[in-house]
Amino acid sequence: MALLELSGLTKRFGAFTALDDISLLIERGEVHCLLGENGAGKSTLCNLVFGVHRPDGGTMTLAGEPFDPRGPAEALQRGVVMVHQHFSLVPNMSVAENLMLGRASAVLKPQDIIVRMEQLAAEYGLEIAPEARIDELSVGERQRVEIIKCLLGDPQLLVLDEPTAVLQPDEIDALLAICRQVALRGKSVILVTHKLGEISRVADRTTVLRQGRIIETVGMEGADIRSLVRSMVGRDVQSAGSVLAAAVDIEGKTPAKPTNAAGPVSPGEAVLQISDLVYRDPHGVPRLDGLSLTVGTGEIVGIAGVEGNGQTELGLILAGLAAPSAGAIVVGGTSVAACTPQEITDAGVGIVPEDRHAVACIKELSVAENLFLGAIGKFSRFGLLDKSARRKAAQTMMRDFDVRASSPDVSMASLSGGNQQKAVLARELSLDPLVFLLAAQPTRGLDLGAIEAVYNRIRAARDDGLGVLLISSELEELMAVSDRIAVIYRGKLVGELAAGAFSREAIGAMMSGHAHV
Amino acid sequence: MIDEQMAVFIGSGLRLAVPIIFAATGEMLSERAGVLNLSLDGMMLMSAFTAALASWATGSPLIGVAAGVLVAMAVAAVQAVLSVTLRANQLVVGIGFNILALGSTTFLYREIFGPLSRDPIPGFAQLNLPWLAHIPVIGPALANQTGLAYVSIVMVVVTWLILKYTSFGLAVRAVGEDPRAADKAGISVAKTRYLGVLYAGILAGFGGAFMSVADSNTFTENMTKGAGYLAITAVIFGGWNPWYTLAACLLFGFATALQFLVPALQLDVPVALLLLLPYLLALVAIAGFVGKSRQPSALTIPFERGG
Amino acid sequence: MVLKNPKLARVAKGARLELVPLQVLVPVVSTIIALGIGLLIITATGASVVEAIEAFWDGMAGSDFNIGASINRAISLALVGLGFIFASRANLTNVGGEGQIAMGGMLATAAALHGAGGLPLGLAFIVPLAVGTIAGAVWGGLAGFLKAARGTNEVISTLLLSFIALPLVYWSVESFHLLRKPISDVSSLPESAEIPDSTKLPLLFPDNGSPLHIGLLIAAIAVVVVWLVLKHSTLGLRLRAVGLNATASRRAGMRTSFYVILAMTVSGGLGGLGGAIMILGQQFYLTSDFSSGYGFDGLVVGLLSRGSAVGVVIGALLFGFLRSGSINMEISAHVPSAVVLICQGLIVIVIAGSAILTNRKVTR
Repeated sequence: MALLELSGLTKRFGAFTALDDISLLIERGEVHCLLGENGAGKSTLCNLVFGVHRPDGGTMTLAGEPFDPRGPAEALQRGVVMVHQHFSLVPNMSVAENLMLGRASAVLKPQDIIVRMEQLAAEYGLEIAPEARIDELSVGERQRVEIIKCLLGDPQLLVLDEPTAVLQPDEIDALLAICRQVALRGKSVILVTHKLGEISRVADRTTVLRQGRIIETVGMEGADIRSLVRSMVGRDVQSAGSVLAAAVDIEGKTPAKPTNAAGPVSPGEAVLQISDLVYRDPHGVPRLDGLSLTVGTGEIVGIAGVEGNGQTELGLILAGLAAPSAGAIVVGGTSVAACTPQEITDAGVGIVPEDRHAVACIKELSVAENLFLGAIGKFSRFGLLDKSARRKAAQTMMRDFDVRASSPDVSMASLSGGNQQKAVLARELSLDPLVFLLAAQPTRGLDLGAIEAVYNRIRAARDDGLGVLLISSELEELMAVSDRIAVIYRGKLVGELAAGAFSREAIGAMMSGHAHV
Repeated sequence: MIDEQMAVFIGSGLRLAVPIIFAATGEMLSERAGVLNLSLDGMMLMSAFTAALASWATGSPLIGVAAGVLVAMAVAAVQAVLSVTLRANQLVVGIGFNILALGSTTFLYREIFGPLSRDPIPGFAQLNLPWLAHIPVIGPALANQTGLAYVSIVMVVVTWLILKYTSFGLAVRAVGEDPRAADKAGISVAKTRYLGVLYAGILAGFGGAFMSVADSNTFTENMTKGAGYLAITAVIFGGWNPWYTLAACLLFGFATALQFLVPALQLDVPVALLLLLPYLLALVAIAGFVGKSRQPSALTIPFERGG
Repeated sequence: MVLKNPKLARVAKGARLELVPLQVLVPVVSTIIALGIGLLIITATGASVVEAIEAFWDGMAGSDFNIGASINRAISLALVGLGFIFASRANLTNVGGEGQIAMGGMLATAAALHGAGGLPLGLAFIVPLAVGTIAGAVWGGLAGFLKAARGTNEVISTLLLSFIALPLVYWSVESFHLLRKPISDVSSLPESAEIPDSTKLPLLFPDNGSPLHIGLLIAAIAVVVVWLVLKHSTLGLRLRAVGLNATASRRAGMRTSFYVILAMTVSGGLGGLGGAIMILGQQFYLTSDFSSGYGFDGLVVGLLSRGSAVGVVIGALLFGFLRSGSINMEISAHVPSAVVLICQGLIVIVIAGSAILTNRKVTR
């Protein structure tokens, strides 16, 4: 008998159908992967199983009994546990406190938790100090706490929603090994991912979702990876080229050849010069530790690194949202270290920030208002807005950058992530003057079509003579788009590779601090 | 002479601090769970009035306190429904309750007692603990308090124990810091917040009842005079820590008591300026000493379950 | 939330369109419910409802004088309400109207008593009005500064600033070296001397005995200006952007601190102007509790209006007339005016509680 049976599950959000008539069996002792693009409904499916959302139709059965959790508490009680895409640990509490949360008796008994932690350490090799505070742990360690939290109660079903996105290569290996061990003990694992490499290493069966529907469920023995990709994307895989490699991370393929016909361009004079940049966070911890980097005109420099090694801080400093503790940043001869965002913009810097919703746009405002957020005064007379002139200009920009919205007056929130990002690119690439573009995680959360558009825009900007700094946690993306890749580790650059010399192994080693080139 | 006045000053400072200690201690727990009750002043005022009324009607200040606490809990329950379940703006709701409390207590007071009534109300006697009285300077002031005053200190200890050693306290802290994570760990965010607000209501009820049946033995219109706001400020000033909050409450109590000490010492400082001193201190405190970082991250932010 | 195609976006927009009438419906219905409860309370006291309502109506609009007085009240409430919606455009909640009125009224009195009286060309009242506006602006701006510089919650700081302002007024009217009138005459109440006639606001209809003064024109101008600024100006859009997302606004080159301080300064200034008009237009001398209740009334007016300048006008008139009526009801029919406070509290609570209806979004 299957452990979990889903039949006819449907979930709608307003007018949007996120899941449509999903029927699926999860067997005991299997690792079952869910594969699909962003927005295919994978996370929604997990959230239904864990009780975060409730289905609008259909039923679930767990171990033969009806299963309709009204919240995570009820799912936990029935032995369903989940590791979320975003960590669900309370940052200013200790590991032990987080583990006690929701399961302790009236009075806290830290000793019991510590004993249980020792058992799990022996069983799965999951070790962590109980008294450590969550916000002092590395991303990989936090992931470990999440998994310990899940395994504490001896669950039946472990759901992992994109757990590997934030991990280093060796941490991914360890996580996949734990999935297999959990399955070996007769429990079931649902693993959500969009990375085919992981699937072929760990899955017993894989279900492909597209636009809220199940396309197929296949056993992994002798499965054709290419056909999985076709099911996932819904079109012929050849057309996507390097975009596909970046998006699904197929291991062993190296389509690292930049697609511009001229090959790697020879960089011109430096547009961005960073020297000995230091940034200490409010607790005094150095996040950037003497970073130096030059980007020339007409080149794309990629920054590779495991998340949390200073990329975010570098992005914030370049955007003028954080002041460096020491060091210099020069753009086209102007020093912009510790300048206001306006001064940085005036120096010719465009920013596509990592966190689109928090930094790049105001989702309650209209598309037109967002397109001219930095130039509100441009369409005004005596301080009053000239909305029709702004509307016209916005329509032109939307056409030029293929931003699809029914009108410039709809709110930014009503656009898909891809169209939001295209609007941000439209604004930043229309700046005048413009000599340098920072693109931080520019394709995160986008579907294939939008990813392709973003790559083309970045390449076109480079061909127009801009210097581009591309920060990404997706190695394949960097290898597909960059002319040069520098690797960041613990706040400084530890090595650099020129186009043609890119290799996953070399970059991976540098990312985990193991090797220098 | 000076000693005697110091004793009076310390005694009245403590007495003025007690209602704020009650209210601030409960409010601190509620805020740790992420709900700010700006309605604290209204809860206190309603409790003060109800306690006076019940004590006057039954002759028992104990029943008065019980009635006051019940009414404050009722206000807290409605506040919880609005700010937790209906996700209303906690600050605006709080202001609404304060206006409602001022209006209804003033109205009922005039209807029941008459506009200028000064009827004494049965209240608690001071305990006069001899073993405390022997401490020099502060002894007499400490010893001559009503039982409720000592209860307020006990509640600080109890609240501290709850937060530190019980799983409810752990849930409170988690819900105020990261409700999403708490929810996914199986904690009911709504239930925890309801309990937090009710806890604040109970203690605010004690604070309000103390004012009418233990301190002044009478009710006057708008008798809290913003004590609830002072309590909220004390929580901020105290950095959401029970002991520092207690210290802030004592500071505000003594600052208020200065308006009795200064004229008694025949110092030429306008009483009006002494009236604003606690609020000025509070403003300086929250503006000058409190970093935003220590505030519970989810304070005043309603929780809605999402993916 | 994310909608995948324009068609769905239209559906979502349609869903919001249906909700628009709720924005009007909710304040209206909650006001009616609250007034109904007020009536029930009056009935419960055993007072004659007919008599109470008669007294109420008489106080509101029983004569040209009473109508004028009611509108005069509404003028100050409208200014405080406009200040509230100005700040809330930047997502700031100014609940310190009482303190801003108090400062404005106190310093306007000071200006009228000391120096402005002899000025020509209407400057005699314009200067005190300006001084009161500046005083309120400083009081509000202080909260804005604390917010921008220290992250201090403006709700708490504006409340505390009110608790500081009220004793200051008390101090000014009980100190002879400040504003208290000399004990030369019979009474020696702690209040200021009457301001010179030249500093009183000119009446609009001096012949029919109505106290209605040119404050009405000032308020009308303020309504139009605030409406233009909030809905149609670059400043309004910037305030809105800063209020919605400070980080994104900062990235787009806006000086967010400046706009926070500006919003609170203008908001406080409107309150201060309201306070000055109360003294110069009708009360003519300063008492320690001259502002009593106006701050909360203005706050409720701002809340009821849901950010609309027209809504402020309607709300201000409603409360201006309600106040006048309730005062007369207390005097003639012996029903405590606190009933009106009860109604106001209920209105605020119901409106805040129904925000979930009016702000509902299609969430993913």
